[in-house]
Amino acid sequence: MTDKTHFGFQTVEEHEKARKVGEVFHSVARKYDLMNDVMSAGLHRTWKRFAVEISGVKAGDRVLDVAGGSGDLSRLFSRKVGSEGSVVLTDINASMLGVGRDRLMDEGVPVPALQCDAEKLPFPDQHFDCVIVAFGLRNMTHKDRALAEMQRVLKVGGRLLVLEFSQVWKPLAPLYDAYSFKLLPLMGKLLAQDAASYQYLAESIRMHPDQETLKQMMLDAGFGKVDYYNLSAGVVALHKGWKTV
Amino acid sequence: MIKPLLTRLLGHLVKQNSWARPHLQPYAGKHIRLQLFPLSATLVVLEDGGLGMAGDTAVHDASMRISPSLALRLLANDASAHSDIVLEGDTEFAIALGKVLQAMSWDYEEDLSRVVGDVAATQISQRLQEGVAATRKQAVNLTEMAAEFWQEEQPLIAKKRHVEAFNRDVDILRDDLGRLDKRMEKLSARLDALLKHHA
Repeated sequence: MTDKTHFGFQTVEEHEKARKVGEVFHSVARKYDLMNDVMSAGLHRTWKRFAVEISGVKAGDRVLDVAGGSGDLSRLFSRKVGSEGSVVLTDINASMLGVGRDRLMDEGVPVPALQCDAEKLPFPDQHFDCVIVAFGLRNMTHKDRALAEMQRVLKVGGRLLVLEFSQVWKPLAPLYDAYSFKLLPLMGKLLAQDAASYQYLAESIRMHPDQETLKQMMLDAGFGKVDYYNLSAGVVALHKGWKTV
Repeated sequence: MIKPLLTRLLGHLVKQNSWARPHLQPYAGKHIRLQLFPLSATLVVLEDGGLGMAGDTAVHDASMRISPSLALRLLANDASAHSDIVLEGDTEFAIALGKVLQAMSWDYEEDLSRVVGDVAATQISQRLQEGVAATRKQAVNLTEMAAEFWQEEQPLIAKKRHVEAFNRDVDILRDDLGRLDKRMEKLSARLDALLKHHA
């Protein structure tokens, strides 16, 4: 008998989750950015830019973009690290990775793209100065394993940044729920002809650990210090963890 | 969205003052709480030597407290005001950051030139500087007038020379008291010796 996990509000076999998540992102890949812009009123760009600024990445650094999909963060980081540094774009989903890789190539941004599972990163220990995972952790089956892997590939003094939907400020919760479960699937249906995938996105956000729980998970994964920022009243949180030993 | 905005502004300021990075980099990861009543903010030194707003759960390593009256003195370039800033915690870090912040300047003319062009930016900047200089002069005049009124017409604050004379008198009194104390001790010792001799 295999272990169970959640896929949105459904409970599924663990081995099924990656396939189901893969189907969702395969379905939304082509219109992922358009939907992100519509869903967040363009705010996802501000959140991502803020994550890059807070990372403290400088010229010559090595950066790993986990679940980087459409390549937004890889593009921003490649400007920061310059020609002496390097950025690696990874995603478990070939469709999302293809979109990101093609776009970066079209823009003349030389970023290697690698399809891999965040729970088994194909990189040596202490290799990167910064690892970032934006809007990807909640889709991972074993978040603890993924966090431990990201900690492993970081150098001592390196930082992990987790940008993810989180628990919204309580007074706004009813409004946010109405938006997520009524408007979001409707927008998905109208703009991407895919209401079910966007229903999953809304559900997966609710099932994701809140700010404090994620902070504790990062500490448990071996990070010496963790701090987080609530953005847009907690709709999104940016966690920053330091590898100290 | 205030933190992303302020972090962006701080990043822009550090970018314009790139000399600051090597001075800040040794303190990467340290947090400082700045308090200027009623406002307060915690800043973090980033790993690239930049500055950003600290996270919601950050614990500050140092704090810098500036009272409203001190802020006015700092704005008026009163050199003695810097020693009145209250520093707590890691004071070495706080002093280093304070020096960097003090030396930083915002090249607003450069920023303005991107919007309105070089010529217009220079003209606006000149007008602005003239305006600030005139306002400062008027503020100084007003303060001097008020001081004169409260010293001559409605004596409420003491004149500098009176305060200095009072300070001198206090010094003389302190020295006299010191001497009297010594003489009393000597007399007391002599009295003890006499009593012992007669006993």
